[in-house]
Amino acid sequence: MAGGLSLYAEGKSLLHRAHPLTKGALTLSAIAIAFIAPSIGWVLGIGVILLVLVTAAGVLRRLLAVAAAILLPITLLLLAVQGFANANNRTVAFALGPIVYYREGLAIAALAALRIACLVCATFLFSFTTRPADISEALMQRGLSTRMGYVVQSALQIIPQTLDMAGRIQDAQRARGLETEGSLPRRARAYLPLMLPLVLSSLVATQERAMALEVRGFGLPVKRVARFEFADSPLQRVLRWVLIGAVPAAIAARLAGWR
Amino acid sequence: MGPDRGGARGDRRPPRGVALSSTSLVFENVSYAYEEAAREAVSDLSLSIAVGEWVGVTGPTNAGKSTLCLLAMGLAPHFFGGRLKGRVVVLEKDSRELSVIQRSAEVGLLFQNPFTQISGARERVDDEVGFGPECHGVSRLEVAARVEEAMALVGISQLAARHPMDLSGGQLQRLALAGLLAMRPKLLLLDEPTSQLDPAGTAAIFDVLAGLHASGITIVMVEHRLETLCELCPRVVAMVAGRIIADGPPDDVFNREAVQLRVGSPVFTRLAREAGLSPPWPVRLRDATAVFGRRLA
Repeated sequence: MAGGLSLYAEGKSLLHRAHPLTKGALTLSAIAIAFIAPSIGWVLGIGVILLVLVTAAGVLRRLLAVAAAILLPITLLLLAVQGFANANNRTVAFALGPIVYYREGLAIAALAALRIACLVCATFLFSFTTRPADISEALMQRGLSTRMGYVVQSALQIIPQTLDMAGRIQDAQRARGLETEGSLPRRARAYLPLMLPLVLSSLVATQERAMALEVRGFGLPVKRVARFEFADSPLQRVLRWVLIGAVPAAIAARLAGWR
Repeated sequence: MGPDRGGARGDRRPPRGVALSSTSLVFENVSYAYEEAAREAVSDLSLSIAVGEWVGVTGPTNAGKSTLCLLAMGLAPHFFGGRLKGRVVVLEKDSRELSVIQRSAEVGLLFQNPFTQISGARERVDDEVGFGPECHGVSRLEVAARVEEAMALVGISQLAARHPMDLSGGQLQRLALAGLLAMRPKLLLLDEPTSQLDPAGTAAIFDVLAGLHASGITIVMVEHRLETLCELCPRVVAMVAGRIIADGPPDDVFNREAVQLRVGSPVFTRLAREAGLSPPWPVRLRDATAVFGRRLA
Protein backbone atom coordinates (compact mmCIF):
# COMPACT_ATOMS: atom_id res chain seq x y z
CA MET A 1 0.00 0.00 0.00
CA ALA A 2 1.04 3.58 -0.48
CA GLY A 3 2.15 5.76 2.40
CA GLY A 4 1.09 9.34 2.97
CA LEU A 5 1.99 12.22 0.72
CA SER A 6 4.73 13.38 3.02
CA LEU A 7 8.25 14.51 2.21
CA TYR A 8 9.05 14.93 5.88
CA ALA A 9 12.54 13.81 6.84
CA GLU A 10 13.07 12.87 10.47
CA GLY A 11 15.44 15.25 12.21
CA LYS A 12 16.13 17.20 15.38
CA SER A 13 17.38 20.47 13.92
CA LEU A 14 16.18 23.86 15.09
CA LEU A 15 13.91 24.06 12.07
CA HIS A 16 12.44 20.62 12.73
CA ARG A 17 11.59 21.75 16.25
CA ALA A 18 10.27 25.17 15.26
CA HIS A 19 6.54 25.93 15.35
CA PRO A 20 4.88 24.99 12.01
CA LEU A 21 3.50 28.53 11.68
CA THR A 22 6.99 30.00 12.10
CA LYS A 23 8.21 27.76 9.29
CA GLY A 24 5.14 28.65 7.25
CA ALA A 25 5.77 32.37 7.74
CA LEU A 26 9.43 31.90 6.79
CA THR A 27 8.50 30.00 3.64
CA LEU A 28 5.83 32.40 2.45
CA SER A 29 7.82 35.55 3.17
CA ALA A 30 10.99 34.15 1.55
CA ILE A 31 9.04 33.30 -1.61
CA ALA A 32 7.17 36.61 -1.66
CA ILE A 33 10.27 38.76 -1.10
CA ALA A 34 12.23 36.76 -3.71
CA PHE A 35 9.60 37.75 -6.26
CA ILE A 36 9.28 41.34 -5.01
CA ALA A 37 13.04 42.03 -4.82
CA PRO A 38 14.20 44.01 -7.87
CA SER A 39 17.69 42.64 -8.55
CA ILE A 40 19.70 39.45 -8.76
CA GLY A 41 21.81 40.49 -5.76
CA TRP A 42 18.83 40.60 -3.39
CA VAL A 43 17.31 37.36 -4.69
CA LEU A 44 20.70 35.67 -4.48
CA GLY A 45 20.94 36.82 -0.86
CA ILE A 46 17.60 35.20 -0.03
CA GLY A 47 18.75 32.05 -1.82
CA VAL A 48 21.95 31.94 0.24
CA ILE A 49 19.99 32.35 3.50
CA LEU A 50 17.68 29.51 2.47
CA LEU A 51 20.64 27.29 1.59
CA VAL A 52 22.19 27.96 4.99
CA LEU A 53 18.90 26.94 6.66
CA VAL A 54 18.64 23.85 4.46
CA THR A 55 22.17 22.85 5.44
CA ALA A 56 21.46 23.49 9.11
CA ALA A 57 18.33 21.31 8.87
CA GLY A 58 20.43 18.48 7.43
CA VAL A 59 18.39 18.12 4.26
CA LEU A 60 20.78 19.64 1.71
CA ARG A 61 21.42 16.37 -0.13
CA ARG A 62 17.69 15.61 -0.44
CA LEU A 63 17.02 19.16 -1.61
CA LEU A 64 19.75 19.07 -4.25
CA ALA A 65 18.39 15.82 -5.69
CA VAL A 66 14.83 17.17 -5.94
CA ALA A 67 15.76 20.73 -6.93
CA ALA A 68 18.10 19.61 -9.71
CA ALA A 69 15.34 17.58 -11.32
CA ILE A 70 12.94 20.53 -11.19
CA LEU A 71 15.23 23.50 -11.75
CA LEU A 72 17.58 22.24 -14.44
CA PRO A 73 15.02 21.96 -17.26
CA ILE A 74 13.28 25.19 -16.21
CA THR A 75 16.56 27.13 -16.08
CA LEU A 76 17.71 25.81 -19.46
CA LEU A 77 14.36 26.71 -21.01
CA LEU A 78 14.42 30.22 -19.50
CA LEU A 79 18.01 30.83 -20.66
CA ALA A 80 17.18 29.72 -24.19
CA VAL A 81 13.89 31.58 -24.57
CA GLN A 82 14.94 34.83 -22.91
CA GLY A 83 18.50 34.93 -24.29
CA PHE A 84 17.46 34.37 -27.86
CA ALA A 85 13.96 35.80 -28.08
CA ASN A 86 13.25 38.46 -25.42
CA ALA A 87 11.74 41.59 -26.97
CA ASN A 88 14.14 43.86 -25.05
CA ASN A 89 17.30 42.09 -26.25
CA ARG A 90 19.84 44.70 -27.50
CA THR A 91 23.39 43.84 -26.37
CA VAL A 92 25.01 40.81 -27.95
CA ALA A 93 26.66 38.45 -25.49
CA PHE A 94 27.93 36.05 -28.15
CA ALA A 95 27.08 34.95 -31.65
CA LEU A 96 27.50 31.64 -33.42
CA GLY A 97 26.94 32.47 -37.08
CA PRO A 98 23.31 33.54 -37.43
CA ILE A 99 22.48 32.54 -33.85
CA VAL A 100 22.80 35.54 -31.50
CA TYR A 101 22.54 35.41 -27.72
CA TYR A 102 21.78 38.62 -25.78
CA ARG A 103 22.84 39.92 -22.35
CA GLU A 104 19.44 41.41 -21.47
CA GLY A 105 17.75 38.04 -21.98
CA LEU A 106 20.45 36.33 -19.95
CA ALA A 107 19.89 38.73 -17.01
CA ILE A 108 16.10 38.29 -17.11
CA ALA A 109 16.44 34.50 -17.32
CA ALA A 110 18.94 34.42 -14.44
CA LEU A 111 16.64 36.53 -12.22
CA ALA A 112 13.59 34.41 -13.03
CA ALA A 113 15.53 31.17 -12.49
CA LEU A 114 16.85 32.42 -9.15
CA ARG A 115 13.36 33.38 -8.01
CA ILE A 116 12.05 29.93 -8.94
CA ALA A 117 15.04 28.38 -7.17
CA CYS A 118 14.11 30.31 -4.01
CA LEU A 119 10.50 29.14 -4.34
CA VAL A 120 11.56 25.50 -4.72
CA CYS A 121 14.15 25.77 -1.96
CA ALA A 122 11.74 27.40 0.54
CA THR A 123 8.90 25.00 -0.27
CA PHE A 124 11.02 21.88 0.13
CA LEU A 125 12.71 23.25 3.24
CA PHE A 126 9.24 23.52 4.76
CA SER A 127 8.14 20.10 3.46
CA PHE A 128 11.28 18.33 4.65
CA THR A 129 11.04 19.73 8.17
CA THR A 130 7.26 19.77 8.78
CA ARG A 131 4.79 16.88 9.03
CA PRO A 132 1.67 17.59 6.91
CA ALA A 133 -0.59 16.74 9.86
CA ASP A 134 1.23 19.36 11.96
CA ILE A 135 0.27 22.11 9.53
CA SER A 136 -3.46 21.51 9.86
CA GLU A 137 -3.15 20.84 13.60
CA ALA A 138 -1.35 24.17 14.07
CA LEU A 139 -3.99 25.95 11.99
CA MET A 140 -6.82 24.29 13.97
CA GLN A 141 -5.18 25.44 17.20
CA ARG A 142 -5.31 28.96 15.72
CA GLY A 143 -9.03 28.75 15.02
CA LEU A 144 -9.40 26.80 11.77
CA SER A 145 -12.59 24.72 12.00
CA THR A 146 -12.30 20.96 12.59
CA ARG A 147 -14.04 20.29 9.29
CA MET A 148 -11.63 22.51 7.36
CA GLY A 149 -8.74 20.95 9.23
CA TYR A 150 -9.96 17.51 8.18
CA VAL A 151 -10.22 18.69 4.57
CA VAL A 152 -6.61 19.91 4.65
CA GLN A 153 -5.39 16.72 6.32
CA SER A 154 -7.26 14.32 4.07
CA ALA A 155 -6.33 16.25 0.92
CA LEU A 156 -2.69 15.60 1.73
CA GLN A 157 -3.40 11.86 1.90
CA ILE A 158 -5.80 11.43 -0.99
CA ILE A 159 -3.32 11.21 -3.88
CA PRO A 160 -1.38 8.17 -2.61
CA GLN A 161 -4.66 6.51 -1.62
CA THR A 162 -6.11 7.01 -5.10
CA LEU A 163 -2.89 5.78 -6.72
CA ASP A 164 -3.03 2.72 -4.50
CA MET A 165 -6.62 2.01 -5.55
CA ALA A 166 -5.74 2.54 -9.24
CA GLY A 167 -2.83 0.11 -8.87
CA ARG A 168 -5.11 -2.58 -7.44
CA ILE A 169 -7.68 -2.14 -10.21
CA GLN A 170 -4.96 -2.31 -12.87
CA ASP A 171 -3.50 -5.44 -11.28
CA ALA A 172 -6.93 -7.07 -11.41
CA GLN A 173 -7.43 -6.03 -15.04
CA ARG A 174 -3.95 -7.24 -15.98
CA ALA A 175 -4.71 -10.59 -14.36
CA ARG A 176 -7.71 -10.87 -16.69
CA GLY A 177 -5.60 -10.24 -19.78
CA LEU A 178 -5.68 -6.46 -20.29
CA GLU A 179 -2.43 -5.33 -21.91
CA THR A 180 -0.93 -2.39 -20.06
CA GLU A 181 2.63 -2.63 -21.38
CA GLY A 182 4.06 -1.79 -24.77
CA SER A 183 3.78 1.24 -27.03
CA LEU A 184 2.53 4.63 -25.84
CA PRO A 185 -0.90 4.31 -27.59
CA ARG A 186 -1.38 0.84 -26.07
CA ARG A 187 -0.54 2.12 -22.59
CA ALA A 188 -2.85 5.11 -23.10
CA ARG A 189 -5.68 2.78 -24.13
CA ALA A 190 -5.12 0.74 -20.96
CA TYR A 191 -6.05 3.80 -18.88
CA LEU A 192 -9.56 4.04 -20.34
CA PRO A 193 -10.96 0.88 -18.68
CA LEU A 194 -9.29 2.02 -15.45
CA MET A 195 -11.21 5.27 -15.17
CA LEU A 196 -14.77 3.99 -14.65
CA PRO A 197 -14.00 1.49 -11.86
CA LEU A 198 -11.65 4.01 -10.27
CA VAL A 199 -14.29 6.75 -10.21
CA LEU A 200 -17.00 4.35 -9.00
CA SER A 201 -14.73 2.85 -6.32
CA SER A 202 -13.78 6.34 -5.16
CA LEU A 203 -17.46 7.32 -4.87
CA VAL A 204 -18.30 4.17 -2.90
CA ALA A 205 -15.24 4.66 -0.69
CA THR A 206 -16.26 8.27 -0.07
CA GLN A 207 -19.74 7.22 1.06
CA GLU A 208 -18.35 4.49 3.32
CA ARG A 209 -15.80 6.88 4.80
CA ALA A 210 -18.50 9.47 5.44
CA MET A 211 -20.43 6.81 7.39
CA ALA A 212 -17.30 5.70 9.23
CA LEU A 213 -16.57 9.31 10.22
CA GLU A 214 -20.08 9.72 11.64
CA VAL A 215 -19.70 6.45 13.52
CA ARG A 216 -16.59 7.92 15.16
CA GLY A 217 -18.36 11.11 16.14
CA PHE A 218 -16.85 13.46 13.57
CA GLY A 219 -18.87 16.67 13.49
CA LEU A 220 -20.08 16.47 17.08
CA PRO A 221 -20.50 20.05 18.30
CA VAL A 222 -18.01 19.83 21.16
CA LYS A 223 -14.89 21.82 21.85
CA ARG A 224 -12.05 19.90 20.29
CA VAL A 225 -9.07 19.25 22.52
CA ALA A 226 -5.72 19.85 20.82
CA ARG A 227 -3.77 16.64 20.27
CA PHE A 228 -0.56 18.23 21.51
CA GLU A 229 1.00 21.63 22.09
CA PHE A 230 3.65 22.81 19.68
CA ALA A 231 6.77 24.26 21.25
CA ASP A 232 6.55 28.01 20.87
CA SER A 233 8.45 30.97 22.36
CA PRO A 234 8.27 34.78 22.48
CA LEU A 235 11.21 34.83 20.06
CA GLN A 236 9.31 32.71 17.54
CA ARG A 237 6.21 34.86 17.89
CA VAL A 238 8.25 38.03 17.23
CA LEU A 239 10.00 36.32 14.33
CA ARG A 240 6.66 35.37 12.76
CA TRP A 241 5.45 38.97 12.91
CA VAL A 242 8.75 40.23 11.48
CA LEU A 243 8.58 37.75 8.62
CA ILE A 244 4.94 38.53 7.87
CA GLY A 245 5.60 42.28 8.16
CA ALA A 246 8.58 42.05 5.82
CA VAL A 247 6.29 41.31 2.86
CA PRO A 248 4.23 44.54 2.89
CA ALA A 249 7.45 46.40 3.77
CA ALA A 250 9.11 44.98 0.65
CA ILE A 251 6.10 45.93 -1.49
CA ALA A 252 6.16 49.45 -0.06
CA ALA A 253 9.91 49.73 -0.66
CA ARG A 254 9.48 48.52 -4.21
CA LEU A 255 6.75 51.10 -4.84
CA ALA A 256 9.00 53.74 -3.31
CA GLY A 257 11.71 53.02 -5.86
CA TRP A 258 13.74 50.12 -4.46
CA ARG A 259 16.16 49.07 -7.21
CA MET B 1 -2.56 -6.53 27.18
CA GLY B 2 -6.22 -7.40 26.92
CA PRO B 3 -8.16 -9.77 29.07
CA ASP B 4 -7.65 -13.53 28.97
CA ARG B 5 -9.14 -14.75 25.74
CA GLY B 6 -8.43 -18.41 26.01
CA GLY B 7 -11.58 -19.49 27.74
CA ALA B 8 -13.92 -17.16 25.93
CA ARG B 9 -13.97 -18.89 22.56
CA GLY B 10 -16.97 -21.17 22.38
CA ASP B 11 -17.89 -20.52 26.01
CA ARG B 12 -21.64 -20.18 26.03
CA ARG B 13 -21.96 -18.84 29.55
CA PRO B 14 -22.56 -15.09 29.97
CA PRO B 15 -19.42 -13.15 30.93
CA ARG B 16 -18.72 -13.08 34.64
CA GLY B 17 -20.04 -10.07 36.46
CA VAL B 18 -22.43 -9.11 33.66
CA ALA B 19 -26.12 -9.21 34.37
CA LEU B 20 -28.19 -10.24 31.38
CA SER B 21 -31.32 -8.58 32.67
CA SER B 22 -31.16 -5.28 30.77
CA THR B 23 -31.32 -5.00 27.01
CA SER B 24 -28.70 -3.55 24.75
CA LEU B 25 -30.60 -3.64 21.47
CA VAL B 26 -34.29 -4.09 20.79
CA PHE B 27 -36.10 -4.24 17.45
CA GLU B 28 -39.88 -3.97 17.80
CA ASN B 29 -41.78 -4.90 14.63
CA VAL B 30 -39.23 -3.06 12.53
CA SER B 31 -39.65 -2.73 8.78
CA TYR B 32 -37.31 -0.59 6.75
CA ALA B 33 -37.02 0.26 3.05
CA TYR B 34 -34.18 2.28 1.53
CA GLU B 35 -35.11 5.42 -0.34
CA GLU B 36 -36.63 4.65 -3.73
CA ALA B 37 -36.38 0.90 -3.06
CA ALA B 38 -39.39 -1.11 -4.19
CA ARG B 39 -39.19 -3.70 -1.41
CA GLU B 40 -38.33 -3.58 2.25
CA ALA B 41 -34.78 -4.54 3.26
CA VAL B 42 -36.07 -5.87 6.57
CA SER B 43 -39.66 -6.71 7.42
CA ASP B 44 -41.42 -7.09 10.73
CA LEU B 45 -38.18 -7.63 12.60
CA SER B 46 -38.45 -8.30 16.32
CA LEU B 47 -35.34 -9.04 18.31
CA SER B 48 -34.05 -8.38 21.79
CA ILE B 49 -30.37 -8.59 22.69
CA ALA B 50 -29.32 -8.45 26.32
CA VAL B 51 -26.30 -6.60 27.68
CA GLY B 52 -23.15 -8.71 27.36
CA GLU B 53 -24.50 -11.08 24.71
CA TRP B 54 -22.55 -12.10 21.61
CA VAL B 55 -25.03 -12.65 18.81
CA GLY B 56 -24.08 -13.92 15.37
CA VAL B 57 -26.25 -12.92 12.43
CA THR B 58 -26.15 -14.94 9.25
CA GLY B 59 -28.10 -15.48 6.06
CA PRO B 60 -27.76 -15.37 2.27
CA THR B 61 -27.23 -12.21 0.21
CA ASN B 62 -30.01 -9.61 0.61
CA ALA B 63 -31.11 -11.19 3.87
CA GLY B 64 -31.02 -7.78 5.58
CA LYS B 65 -28.03 -8.49 7.83
CA SER B 66 -26.12 -5.29 7.03
CA THR B 67 -29.34 -3.28 7.23
CA LEU B 68 -29.85 -4.63 10.75
CA CYS B 69 -26.44 -3.19 11.69
CA LEU B 70 -27.17 0.12 9.96
CA LEU B 71 -30.51 0.37 11.79
CA ALA B 72 -28.88 -0.36 15.14
CA MET B 73 -26.23 2.28 14.49
CA GLY B 74 -28.84 4.75 13.29
CA LEU B 75 -27.26 5.18 9.85
CA ALA B 76 -30.58 3.91 8.57
CA PRO B 77 -32.56 6.07 8.37
CA HIS B 78 -30.43 9.04 9.55
CA PHE B 79 -27.79 8.67 6.80
CA PHE B 80 -29.67 6.77 4.09
CA GLY B 81 -33.15 8.21 4.47
CA GLY B 82 -35.85 5.69 3.63
CA ARG B 83 -38.96 4.50 5.46
CA LEU B 84 -38.74 3.08 8.98
CA LYS B 85 -41.67 1.45 10.75
CA GLY B 86 -41.58 0.12 14.28
CA ARG B 87 -39.01 0.95 16.98
CA VAL B 88 -35.29 0.40 17.27
CA VAL B 89 -34.17 0.89 20.86
CA VAL B 90 -30.43 1.00 21.44
CA LEU B 91 -29.18 1.11 25.02
CA GLU B 92 -32.67 2.14 26.08
CA LYS B 93 -32.86 5.09 23.69
CA ASP B 94 -35.10 5.20 20.64
CA SER B 95 -33.09 5.42 17.42
CA ARG B 96 -35.18 8.38 16.28
CA GLU B 97 -34.10 10.44 19.30
CA LEU B 98 -30.36 10.39 18.67
CA SER B 99 -28.22 11.17 15.64
CA VAL B 100 -25.46 8.78 14.59
CA ILE B 101 -22.69 11.00 15.96
CA GLN B 102 -24.47 11.33 19.31
CA ARG B 103 -24.87 7.56 19.47
CA SER B 104 -21.24 6.98 18.50
CA ALA B 105 -20.17 7.51 22.12
CA GLU B 106 -21.81 4.21 23.09
CA VAL B 107 -22.19 2.20 19.89
CA GLY B 108 -19.49 1.22 17.40
CA LEU B 109 -19.93 -0.18 13.91
CA LEU B 110 -17.14 -2.00 12.11
CA PHE B 111 -17.63 -2.29 8.34
CA GLN B 112 -16.34 -4.92 5.93
CA ASN B 113 -13.74 -2.77 4.22
CA PRO B 114 -10.98 -1.69 6.61
CA PHE B 115 -9.60 0.76 4.06
CA THR B 116 -12.59 3.10 4.22
CA GLN B 117 -12.88 3.02 8.00
CA ILE B 118 -9.76 4.93 8.77
CA SER B 119 -10.16 8.69 8.81
CA GLY B 120 -7.79 9.19 5.88
CA ALA B 121 -6.37 12.21 7.65
CA ARG B 122 -3.87 10.85 10.13
CA GLU B 123 -0.26 9.88 9.49
CA ARG B 124 0.34 7.63 12.48
CA VAL B 125 -1.52 4.61 13.76
CA ASP B 126 -1.78 5.99 17.32
CA ASP B 127 -3.11 9.33 16.01
CA GLU B 128 -5.69 7.43 13.98
CA VAL B 129 -6.87 5.49 17.04
CA GLY B 130 -7.30 8.77 18.91
CA PHE B 131 -9.42 10.36 16.17
CA GLY B 132 -12.80 9.29 17.61
CA PRO B 133 -12.21 10.30 21.24
CA GLU B 134 -10.84 13.65 20.03
CA CYS B 135 -14.05 14.21 18.05
CA HIS B 136 -15.91 13.64 21.32
CA GLY B 137 -13.87 16.28 23.14
CA VAL B 138 -12.14 13.78 25.42
CA SER B 139 -9.22 15.31 27.33
CA ARG B 140 -5.71 14.84 25.98
CA LEU B 141 -4.57 12.62 28.86
CA GLU B 142 -7.67 10.48 28.60
CA VAL B 143 -7.21 10.15 24.80
CA ALA B 144 -3.62 8.99 25.33
CA ALA B 145 -4.71 6.40 27.89
CA ARG B 146 -7.52 5.12 25.68
CA VAL B 147 -5.27 4.93 22.62
CA GLU B 148 -2.68 2.91 24.51
CA GLU B 149 -5.32 0.58 25.92
CA ALA B 150 -7.13 0.06 22.59
CA MET B 151 -3.91 -0.62 20.69
CA ALA B 152 -2.81 -3.13 23.31
CA LEU B 153 -6.20 -4.82 23.23
CA VAL B 154 -6.06 -5.47 19.48
CA GLY B 155 -2.30 -6.11 19.49
CA ILE B 156 -1.06 -3.22 17.38
CA SER B 157 0.99 -1.31 19.98
CA GLN B 158 4.18 -2.04 18.05
CA LEU B 159 2.68 -0.32 14.97
CA ALA B 160 1.98 2.99 16.75
CA ALA B 161 4.40 5.07 14.67
CA ARG B 162 3.54 3.49 11.30
CA HIS B 163 1.45 5.20 8.62
CA PRO B 164 -2.03 3.61 8.49
CA MET B 165 -1.76 3.18 4.73
CA ASP B 166 1.37 1.07 5.18
CA LEU B 167 -0.49 -1.62 7.15
CA SER B 168 -1.73 -4.95 5.79
CA GLY B 169 -5.47 -5.63 5.51
CA GLY B 170 -5.55 -7.52 8.80
CA GLN B 171 -3.58 -4.84 10.61
CA LEU B 172 -5.81 -2.16 9.11
CA GLN B 173 -8.95 -3.92 10.31
CA ARG B 174 -7.44 -4.23 13.80
CA LEU B 175 -6.64 -0.51 13.62
CA ALA B 176 -10.26 0.24 12.67
CA LEU B 177 -11.41 -1.88 15.61
CA ALA B 178 -8.98 -0.10 17.94
CA GLY B 179 -10.39 3.22 16.72
CA LEU B 180 -13.85 2.07 17.81
CA LEU B 181 -12.67 0.58 21.10
CA ALA B 182 -11.00 3.86 22.02
CA MET B 183 -14.54 5.29 22.10
CA ARG B 184 -15.36 2.74 24.86
CA PRO B 185 -18.55 1.42 23.19
CA LYS B 186 -21.09 -0.60 25.12
CA LEU B 187 -22.44 -2.17 21.95
CA LEU B 188 -20.26 -3.30 19.06
CA LEU B 189 -21.80 -4.00 15.66
CA LEU B 190 -19.61 -5.93 13.25
CA ASP B 191 -20.63 -6.26 9.61
CA GLU B 192 -18.55 -9.14 8.26
CA PRO B 193 -15.41 -7.79 9.90
CA THR B 194 -13.12 -10.45 8.45
CA SER B 195 -14.53 -10.88 4.95
CA GLN B 196 -11.45 -9.29 3.37
CA LEU B 197 -8.85 -10.82 5.66
CA ASP B 198 -6.58 -13.83 5.37
CA PRO B 199 -6.90 -16.71 7.90
CA ALA B 200 -4.22 -15.26 10.19
CA GLY B 201 -5.84 -11.81 10.19
CA THR B 202 -9.25 -13.39 10.76
CA ALA B 203 -8.02 -15.42 13.72
CA ALA B 204 -6.43 -12.32 15.24
CA ILE B 205 -9.68 -10.34 14.98
CA PHE B 206 -11.76 -13.17 16.47
CA ASP B 207 -9.32 -13.51 19.36
CA VAL B 208 -9.76 -9.81 20.08
CA LEU B 209 -13.56 -10.14 19.91
CA ALA B 210 -13.53 -13.10 22.28
CA GLY B 211 -11.59 -10.97 24.74
CA LEU B 212 -14.05 -8.08 24.36
CA HIS B 213 -17.01 -10.38 24.93
CA ALA B 214 -15.35 -11.71 28.06
CA SER B 215 -14.99 -8.13 29.29
CA GLY B 216 -18.74 -7.58 28.97
CA ILE B 217 -19.20 -5.71 25.68
CA THR B 218 -22.32 -6.62 23.74
CA ILE B 219 -21.42 -7.83 20.26
CA VAL B 220 -23.64 -8.26 17.22
CA MET B 221 -21.64 -9.86 14.41
CA VAL B 222 -22.71 -10.52 10.84
CA GLU B 223 -20.77 -13.51 9.55
CA HIS B 224 -21.00 -15.93 6.62
CA ARG B 225 -18.63 -18.55 7.96
CA LEU B 226 -21.04 -20.77 9.84
CA GLU B 227 -18.37 -22.87 11.56
CA THR B 228 -16.81 -19.71 12.98
CA LEU B 229 -20.20 -18.41 14.03
CA CYS B 230 -20.99 -21.64 15.90
CA GLU B 231 -17.61 -21.67 17.62
CA LEU B 232 -17.82 -18.08 18.79
CA CYS B 233 -21.42 -17.01 19.28
CA PRO B 234 -23.67 -18.43 22.01
CA ARG B 235 -26.67 -17.16 20.04
CA VAL B 236 -27.32 -17.10 16.30
CA VAL B 237 -29.94 -15.21 14.32
CA ALA B 238 -30.65 -16.59 10.82
CA MET B 239 -32.21 -14.18 8.34
CA VAL B 240 -33.68 -14.67 4.89
CA ALA B 241 -35.19 -11.97 2.68
CA GLY B 242 -35.34 -9.40 5.47
CA ARG B 243 -36.97 -11.70 8.02
CA ILE B 244 -35.69 -13.71 10.96
CA ILE B 245 -36.31 -17.41 10.35
CA ALA B 246 -34.50 -18.75 13.43
CA ASP B 247 -33.04 -17.32 16.63
CA GLY B 248 -31.33 -19.27 19.39
CA PRO B 249 -28.27 -21.33 20.30
CA PRO B 250 -26.37 -22.49 17.18
CA ASP B 251 -27.14 -26.17 17.94
CA ASP B 252 -30.87 -25.42 17.71
CA VAL B 253 -30.69 -23.00 14.79
CA PHE B 254 -28.60 -25.18 12.47
CA ASN B 255 -30.56 -28.32 13.25
CA ARG B 256 -33.70 -26.75 11.79
CA GLU B 257 -34.57 -27.89 8.29
CA ALA B 258 -35.62 -24.42 7.11
CA VAL B 259 -32.23 -22.98 8.12
CA GLN B 260 -30.32 -25.83 6.50
CA LEU B 261 -32.23 -25.34 3.26
CA ARG B 262 -32.22 -21.54 3.05
CA VAL B 263 -29.10 -20.49 4.95
CA GLY B 264 -26.90 -23.58 4.96
CA SER B 265 -25.27 -25.52 7.74
CA PRO B 266 -21.77 -25.93 9.19
CA VAL B 267 -19.61 -28.51 7.51
CA PHE B 268 -19.69 -30.73 10.63
CA THR B 269 -23.48 -30.78 10.53
CA ARG B 270 -23.51 -31.75 6.86
CA LEU B 271 -20.91 -34.42 7.46
CA ALA B 272 -22.92 -35.97 10.30
CA ARG B 273 -26.09 -35.88 8.22
CA GLU B 274 -24.35 -37.45 5.22
CA ALA B 275 -22.86 -40.10 7.49
CA GLY B 276 -26.38 -41.12 8.46
CA LEU B 277 -26.19 -40.03 12.08
CA SER B 278 -29.45 -39.20 13.74
CA PRO B 279 -30.18 -35.59 14.77
CA PRO B 280 -29.37 -33.41 16.60
CA TRP B 281 -26.27 -33.06 14.46
CA PRO B 282 -23.13 -31.36 15.81
CA VAL B 283 -22.40 -27.79 14.75
CA ARG B 284 -18.92 -27.39 16.27
CA LEU B 285 -15.67 -29.22 15.70
CA ARG B 286 -15.40 -30.47 19.27
CA ASP B 287 -18.97 -31.80 19.25
CA ALA B 288 -18.39 -33.48 15.90
CA THR B 289 -15.18 -35.05 17.16
CA ALA B 290 -17.04 -36.45 20.16
CA VAL B 291 -19.93 -37.75 18.04
CA PHE B 292 -17.70 -39.41 15.45
CA GLY B 293 -15.42 -40.69 18.19
CA ARG B 294 -18.35 -42.49 19.82
CA ARG B 295 -19.46 -43.81 16.43
CA LEU B 296 -16.01 -45.21 15.64
CA ALA B 297 -15.71 -46.73 19.08
